[in-house]
Order: sequence, then C-alpha cells, then structure tokens
Amino acid sequence: MTDSHGYEQQIKRRRGALATMVVAPLLFAFISLFFGRYPKAGFTLPLDWQTNVMMRKIILNVRLPRIALALLAGSMLSASGYAFQMLFSNPLVEPGFLGVSQGSAFGAALMIVLGASSTLSVQLSATFFGLLALAASYFLARRFRFGGWLLRLVLSGIAVSAIFSSALAVVKLVAEPTKDLQDITFWMMGGLWNASWGQLFSILPVVLLSQVVIISQRWKLNLLSLGEKTSFSIGVNPKRDRTLLLVVATVGTTLVISITGLIGWVGLITPHIARKLFGSESSFSLPASMIFGSFFLLFSDTLGRTLLPTEIPIGLLTSLFGAIAFIIILSLRNQEGKV
Amino acid sequence: MNAFELDKVSFTYPSGTQALTDVSFVVEEGSSVALLGSNGAGKSTLLDLLLGLHPNGSITLYGKNLAAYGRKEVGRLVALVPQSEQFNFSFTLLEYTLFGRSPYLRQMQSPTALDAQIAFDALLEVGLAGFEERSITSLSGGEHQLLLIARAIAQQSRILLLDEPTSALDPANRRRTLSLLKGLHSKGKTLLFSTHDVNFAAELATHVVMLKGGRILGAGPIEEVVNAQALTTLYETEMQVGTIGSQTIMY
Repeated sequence: MTDSHGYEQQIKRRRGALATMVVAPLLFAFISLFFGRYPKAGFTLPLDWQTNVMMRKIILNVRLPRIALALLAGSMLSASGYAFQMLFSNPLVEPGFLGVSQGSAFGAALMIVLGASSTLSVQLSATFFGLLALAASYFLARRFRFGGWLLRLVLSGIAVSAIFSSALAVVKLVAEPTKDLQDITFWMMGGLWNASWGQLFSILPVVLLSQVVIISQRWKLNLLSLGEKTSFSIGVNPKRDRTLLLVVATVGTTLVISITGLIGWVGLITPHIARKLFGSESSFSLPASMIFGSFFLLFSDTLGRTLLPTEIPIGLLTSLFGAIAFIIILSLRNQEGKV
Repeated sequence: MNAFELDKVSFTYPSGTQALTDVSFVVEEGSSVALLGSNGAGKSTLLDLLLGLHPNGSITLYGKNLAAYGRKEVGRLVALVPQSEQFNFSFTLLEYTLFGRSPYLRQMQSPTALDAQIAFDALLEVGLAGFEERSITSLSGGEHQLLLIARAIAQQSRILLLDEPTSALDPANRRRTLSLLKGLHSKGKTLLFSTHDVNFAAELATHVVMLKGGRILGAGPIEEVVNAQALTTLYETEMQVGTIGSQTIMY
C-alpha cells in the first residue's frame, strides 16, 4: 500500500472478508440444529419433521435457544475481552483477569444459597459483584506501590480474584449439597444446558446494547490503548470513555455468565486470532473477534453435547481449545493483518 | 493573536506537591519556545497544563479560556509529541499516524481516504514513507520519535507541544529531528518544547522560558534571556555561552 487508493482497497477487502466470515457461524448454527442425542447420537436430518412432534419441540425449544445463546454469549465474551485488552493496553487481559468472573460467580452463588427463586435476582447479583470486583481491582491498582500501571492492575486483579474465590468457597461450604451445591458447581464449569427462550430474552436487550456500544466505539478503543496523555491529546476524554466502556463490557459479560456460568479463554483468545488476520486496529479486528467468539462457543457447545453420553461442560472445552490456540498463536511469527 | 497566554498559573498535585507557582508568559503565534529547567522544575507539568490535562482557568488559547474548549477543539489546535510511548499492540505505521486524525472525526466515524492521504503525507514528511505497513513495534528509537512527530503532523494543529524530543536520540537522529522541527517551524507551526539539551534549544528556539522550582526564572527572546549567568543559576552548575560560526553554543 503506497497511497490512499491502496488504503481504500484494503478497507474494501477487509469488509468483504468480514462479510464472508459472518456466514460461518450462521451456517454452523443451522447444521448444529441437527446435532444431538435424539433420536440417536450425532447428526440426524429430521426427515419426519411434519409428524415427529418431539423432534420439532427439541429443535425449536431446546436446540435453537441454546444455539442462539451460544452465538450471543460468544460474541459478548469476545467483545468484552477485546475491549478490556484495549482499555488496559494489555493483550493478556480479559474480564477474568480483573476479578469480574470470580466476582460474578460469587454473586450468583450467594443468591443461589440465599434461596433466590428468580433468574433476575441471580443476574443482578452477578452483575453487581462483577462490577464491584472490577472497581476493586482498579482502585487497588491505583493504591499499589509496586511496578508500572499494567503490572499493578494484573496483580490487583489476581488479589481480587483470589478474595472472591475464597468467598465463593465459603459459600459452597454452607450450600445445601443436593441442590444448591450442584447449581454452584455448574457455575464454575460453565454450560449452556439450561438455555431457554425465557433466559435468552431476559439478557438479550442489555447484551445486544452492550455490543452495539462497544462496536460503535471501536475507533476510540484504539485511541484509549495509547495511554491517557496521548489519547487526551487527540481529542478523547480517557477517564469518562474508559469508565463507560468498562462498565458496559462488564455488565454484558456478567449477564452472559449469569446464565452460562464461567466460560474461560473466549475473551482472551479470539481477539488474538482476529488481530492475526485483520491487524491491531479495531475497526475490523473487533467485529472479527466477535464472529470468532460466536463460532468458537457454538462449536465447543455442539461438541460438548454430542460427543459423549454425558454432556461435557463447555468451560472445559473452551479452556482446552483456547490454550492450544494460544500456544500456536504465540509460536507463530509476529505478523499481523494478513487480510 | 497569541497562541497561549498564562497569567499567574499555579498548580498543586493532589499529593500536595506544589509544581508551579505564579507562572506567567506569552507564546506568540509562530514562535518556537524552549522550556528549560532541571529535573523536577515543572516543565512536564506545564506541558500537561497547556494540553488541558489539568483544567486551569488562568490559561488562554488564542484568546479563549483553555478550559472552555471542547476536547476535539483543542486537539485540532494543539498536538502533543510525548517523550516516548509504549507500544503494546502491533499497529502499522499508517494506522498509528491515522490516529492523529481523530479530532476531525465525528462520533463513530472511521477515517476517510482523505485522512489516509494526510497520514501518508505526514509519514513522507518525517522520512518514513514506504514503511506504512510495518509494525510500530519493530521501530528503532529514532524511527519511534519520527513516528510520534508524524502523528502530530497528521493532526494538522497550529501548535506542537514536544516533551524532551531528543532525550533518547543518537546524534544522527537528533539532527534529523532538529531539521524536521525547523522545517515545521518555518511553515508557521508554533513550537513549544521542553528539553535538557540546551544546544538543541539554541538551534531551534526563538524564545525560552526558564523554570526553576516551579517558578519563572526568565522568559523572552532567546538572545535577551539566555546568558552564562542565567544558565548557571538555572542549572546550578557553571555554564558558558559562546559561538561557533553563526551558531550559539552553550556548555
């Protein structure tokens, strides 16, 4: 690229690549409708669709909301991970690193043990404690007197995560073993097996809104990654914008994990893959990361519910695949923006 | 109209450290002002204040209170070249230079082809043309400094604030930077830079502001303000001023 014409060509090429990529998770979502353990394990085309009421109900009321939740959750976790990495100018950060996931898990577990009957109260509690953990990590990092800002942030995140993990362990100790403890354990491993239309719609508006806000601020994410003084000098209000985006990303994430439980690695790994293809500038790598996230979660969930007679928790699969992808990416030559 | 006017500006950090006390001076449009002073004299704080980082009611920018400007408005008038910047993401040189176009972009707008052309021109001006697709993480110290200046050029501001622009440069890159900044000054840009390199100041500045302990020791045209005695007082070490050819040398 040697002039603005080349720049325009690159934008067009990347736009085309992104549009093509959207097809992959949608196509896989359609195919995934026919994967499961009914009427037999594996892939089954519902040729008796007209007469088989059970099959119709499973596809429309069990698999479809679950697939929709996987797409929504995958894109949200990726968007938050991406936003966190840019906002903290650290490619190794995701909400989990700053205590948000552990805080949310504690919030949800607490509500379960307290006997909360509604999904809403669990969601609110998870969101509240997720935000509390984020704020605690941020302010602790400001108080620490050791190392640079990023190191302090990661250290405070570790400390806050550990505190909420301990608190969660205490909650598990006092939890009623036959019901509450199982629910909490589900939380820790992550899974989409209790997805329903009701649950999906309960988080859909806010999660979609979070995604729209993050995508609309994708250019600003670049600027905020440059540090406070520089971003300020090019017309950004870093304190206000960073706080807004952190809150939006955290609320979106905690709402998702209030239903899915803790799903690790998605928010960490998909931004790295997207940057390898579309470069570090967020205009294309952010939406690409969200598309990868949708696909990654859907793929892991489909595998998890099909492979064995017992369902494999999705968090285990995303950790496995995520860690493998992470090793591969870090071993590749440091070259980005192939598209 | 003056670019900046400071009227008895004082600033205390939240920790209680008094960084500046009753600082008053004027930066004329089209001048090149060197901020001189020892470490901790308040130079960086002063640059932060001129950028608007700490709102202060005693500074005017083109006759209007700096605190009354919007962020993007200031960004279109004043650009910053920081001392250095940590690169944590592998933006390309073009992408990074394009960030300088941000004050001109509307909410949610991405850079246009015109913005890209301005960024290409800025890279050409600093001598980094042909490297647009290179990653910023692969740059040498000298190229790093040139890129920071390229981003500021792409910002098309009337004023350029530079924080220690030559502090990490070898002689060749120092000369390159000096020549680049002289060129920008000759095209009408107002420069205001902090430096410990008094000879760099002598070559580039038309005016100096000398800060000591957060107070003004002297301010005005370089030939009126800078002499051996003033520099000796400023740096608390024996300093001399001489000439080689037409060039003033301080040592």
